[in-house]
Amino acid sequence: MNGVAIVTLILGLGLVAWLSARAKAVRLAPAPSGGASRNRSGRPLLHSLPVYHGWYAALWVLAPALLFLVIWANVMPGLVTERALQDSAAAALPIDAMSRSAILTEARNVALGNAQAAFDPRANALIEPYRSAHRFYSLGGALAALMLAFAGGAFAFTRIRPDFRARTKVERVVMSALLVASLIAIVTTVGIVGSLLWESLRFFAMVNPFDFLFGLKWSPQSAAMGYGNEDAFGAVPLFWGTIFIGAIIAMFVAIPLGLMSAIYLTQYARPAARAWLKPMLEVLAGVPTVVYGYFAALTIAPNLRDFAAWVGISNASSESALAAGLVMGVMIIPFVSSMADDSINSVPQSMRDGSLAMGATTSETIKQVLIPAALPGVVGGVLLAVSRAIGETMIVVMAAGLAANLTLNPFASVTTVTTQIVQLLTGDQEFESAKTLAAFALGLVLFVVTLLLNIVALHVVKRYREAYE
Amino acid sequence: MNAPIPSTERRRAPTDWKGADMQKRIAARYSSERRFRMIGLTAILMSAGFLAFLLISMLHEGASGFTRTELAVRVDFPKAPIVIDPATLRGEGADAVLASVNWQALTDQAATGALGQDGVWIAPGAWLVMRDAVKADPSLLQKSVTLSLPASDDLDIAAKSDGSPEAEAAYARLDKAGIATRAVNWDFLTSSDATDPTQVGIWGAFKGSLLTMAVTLLLSFPVGVLAALYLEEYAPRNRWTDMIEVSINNLAAVPSIIFGLLGLAVFLNVMHLPRSAALVGGMTLALMTMPVIVIAGRNAIKAVPPSIRDAALGIGASPIQVVFHHVLPLALPGIMTGTIIGMARALGETAPLLMIGMRAFIASPPGGITDPATVLPVQIFLWSDEVSKGFVEKTSAAIIVLLLFLLSMNSIAIYLRNKFERRW
Repeated sequence: MNGVAIVTLILGLGLVAWLSARAKAVRLAPAPSGGASRNRSGRPLLHSLPVYHGWYAALWVLAPALLFLVIWANVMPGLVTERALQDSAAAALPIDAMSRSAILTEARNVALGNAQAAFDPRANALIEPYRSAHRFYSLGGALAALMLAFAGGAFAFTRIRPDFRARTKVERVVMSALLVASLIAIVTTVGIVGSLLWESLRFFAMVNPFDFLFGLKWSPQSAAMGYGNEDAFGAVPLFWGTIFIGAIIAMFVAIPLGLMSAIYLTQYARPAARAWLKPMLEVLAGVPTVVYGYFAALTIAPNLRDFAAWVGISNASSESALAAGLVMGVMIIPFVSSMADDSINSVPQSMRDGSLAMGATTSETIKQVLIPAALPGVVGGVLLAVSRAIGETMIVVMAAGLAANLTLNPFASVTTVTTQIVQLLTGDQEFESAKTLAAFALGLVLFVVTLLLNIVALHVVKRYREAYE
Repeated sequence: MNAPIPSTERRRAPTDWKGADMQKRIAARYSSERRFRMIGLTAILMSAGFLAFLLISMLHEGASGFTRTELAVRVDFPKAPIVIDPATLRGEGADAVLASVNWQALTDQAATGALGQDGVWIAPGAWLVMRDAVKADPSLLQKSVTLSLPASDDLDIAAKSDGSPEAEAAYARLDKAGIATRAVNWDFLTSSDATDPTQVGIWGAFKGSLLTMAVTLLLSFPVGVLAALYLEEYAPRNRWTDMIEVSINNLAAVPSIIFGLLGLAVFLNVMHLPRSAALVGGMTLALMTMPVIVIAGRNAIKAVPPSIRDAALGIGASPIQVVFHHVLPLALPGIMTGTIIGMARALGETAPLLMIGMRAFIASPPGGITDPATVLPVQIFLWSDEVSKGFVEKTSAAIIVLLLFLLSMNSIAIYLRNKFERRW
C-alpha cells in the first residue's frame, strides 16, 4: 500500500470523525433557550460549540496516525534491509562495507521500481527478498497507522459529553502550532549558523584561518590539483573585490542619486509627480538581479571596455569592476532613497518651519538643517545598502569576472566573495575537498559581516529615531 | 568694574535690501536654489532613464526572440522514401511507427530537393516540425505539401540583424524568392531547453518556476502567518520572544546566497533530498520568504484596531476565536499583499538555486516536485553563458517573460491593496 493512499485514507477518517463527533455533540445539545445553564428539559448546555467537538475528534484521529507514519517512514528502510539480510541470498554478500552497501542500494532501487534492472547478479538475488520485506513492513505500518487512527477516534468519541471542554483542548493545540511556527525562524537561524560553522571548522582543519583571512593569493584551482593548501586560500583579494564593487563603486552611484532623489521627492516634487516617481524607483528594486547581471555583462561592460580603450587604458578587461559596480549602484538606489526619505520625513516639521521663517531658501534649509538632522538615519540606510550590495550575487557573477586581482583599477577584472562561492560549489567535485569547504568559510565571513552591518545600522537608526520622539 | 562698556562698535546700519550688493547676494542664493533643485530632478531622471534604458534594450533585443525565420519547403511525400501506411498513424502505436522513420534524412533530402544549395539553411531541429505535421494529419503522406520549416540559427541571425556574409547572401536570395518568412515562434513558449538556439523554449523553466513557487507558498505562507499571529497577539514579552524577533529580522537581511548554502548543507547533504528538484528549491526559497511574510503580516495585524478585539472579547469570544474569527480576516488583505511581494522576490531569485544544483541542463519539463528542474531566472543565467549568438535574443525574450510575470504579480498586489485597504 503506497504512502499517498494511506495518507488520503487517514485524512478521510479524520473527516468522518469530524462529522460524526459534531453530529453527536449537536444531538447532545439542547434547543437554545436564554442564557441559563440548564434549559427547560433539564439537560445541561454544551460547554463548547459542536464544531469544537468535531475538531477534537479529528485531531485525535489525524495527529497520532500521521506522526506514526512520519516516524515509520524514517525507520522502515533500516528494518527492511535488516529483514532482507536474513534471507539466504544475503550470505553471498561481500564483507567489505562499501561494495556491500552498493549492492544493497542497487537491489533496493530495483525492488522499489526506481531502476529497471540490476547489473550485479548478487543484487539480482536480493531483489525478491527486498521486495517481500518492503511489502511486509509497509503493510504493517499502514495497518498500525489505521489502528492508531481508529483508537484515537474512539477515545475522542467517548469523551464527548455536554460538560467536556473540547474548545479548550483544541485551542491548546492551535496555540502550540502558533508557537512552533514562530520557532521555525530560530531553527533556521541556528541551521544557518550551525551549517556554516560546521563546514568552516572542517575547512580550517585543513587551512590555517590566519592564512585564509590575511593571505594575498587566491587560487583554489591549484589546491585542487594537489599543490597543497598553504598558498591557495588567501581571501584578501576577494574581500577587496567585494568592498571595491559593493561598498565603493556602487555607493558612488547610489548615494548621490538615491539621496538627491529622496530630497527631490520629499521637498520639491508635487504630490501628483511623487505618486508616479516613487513607485518607479521601487520598480528598480523589483527587477530580478539576474536581469541586472545580464544587462551589465551584455550592454554596460563592452561599452566600458571600448571607452577605456578610447581613453587609452590598455589593460581594460571585458569583465570590469566598474560595470558590475555601476549596475549594482543603480539597483541599490531605491534602498538608499527610501531610507533617506524616511529619515528626512521624520525630522520634526518645526525645525524646517523655523529655518524657512528665518528667511532661508528651501535648499539652504535642506543643506543646513534637514540633512544634518537626518544624517544618522541616512548613514544607517547607507550601511544597510552596503550590506545588501556585498551579499549580491548574480550581478558580480555575470559581470565582474573570476580573476582574483588586488587592484585599484576599476577597468580591471576583480572577483568577489559571492562569485567565488558560486564558482567553488558549481562543478563536479567531491564534497570533502578544501575547495568546496572554502565556500562555506567565505559564506561564514559574508554572514558575519552583513549581520554586523545590519546590527550597527539598525542601532544607529533606532538611536536617531529616539532623539526626536 | 561695573562701568558701562564704551560703545566702540559702530551701530549697524539697517540692511539695504534694495542695494546692489544685497540684490546680487539674493540672486546668487536663488540661483543656487534653482541649481539644487535641478540636481535633484536630474538624479531622479537619471534613475528613471536607466530603468527606461534597461527595459527598452531588453524589449528591443528580446522582441525578435519570439519570432523565427521559416523557409517554405515543398515536400513530395508520395515520392519520399517512407514506407508507412497512413492508417497505422491513426490508432495506437502511432509513436512507434513514427519513430521508425529517419525524419532527419528525409527533411534534409526534401530541403535540398526544394531549395537546392540553400537546403543547408534548414534548422537541425526542422525534422521535428515535419514529424509533428505528419502526426497531426497522416493524410499528408499521400500529398505533396508546402511546409514552413524553421531556418537555422545562422540564417535566423542574418534575417534579424547581421550574420555571416554567406548567411546574409543566402537570406537575400531566399527572401527575394519569397521562401523565407517571419513567423511567431510558438515553440519558444511550449518547449524546453535545447542545445540549438532555434529549438529552445521556456516552458520547462516556467513550469519549474511554478512548481518551486507552489512549494514555497505552501510552506512559507502558513508558517509565516501563524508566526506573525503568535508574535503580534499572544507572545509574552520575554527573552525567547526577543530571540524570535531578532532572528526573523536578521533572516530578512541575510544575503540570499547564504540560504543556498544552508539548502546545500542541510537539505542535500544531511537530509539527502533529490538534487536540482523543485522541492528543495521551494524549501530553500520558503526559508527566505517566510521572514518577509512575517514582517508584512505583523504590520497588517497591528493595523487592526484594538476596539475590534475588545468588542469580541466583550461578548465572550476566547482569545483564539478573537484572532481567527475577527483579526485574521481583517488583516488578510495586507498579509496577501506582503506575501505576493515576497513571492515575487523569490521568483526572481537565482543565486540560492544555483547552490542546490538547479543549473543543470534540463531538456524536458519536470513532471513533479522531485524531478530535476530549472527555473526562469536560472534559465536566463544559463542562456546568457552560451557562446552561440542565437541565444542573445532568446535570453532577452526569457527576461521579457519573467518581467511580465513579475509585473502581473505586483499589479495584483497593488490592486489588492487598493481594493481592500481599510483606514480605521
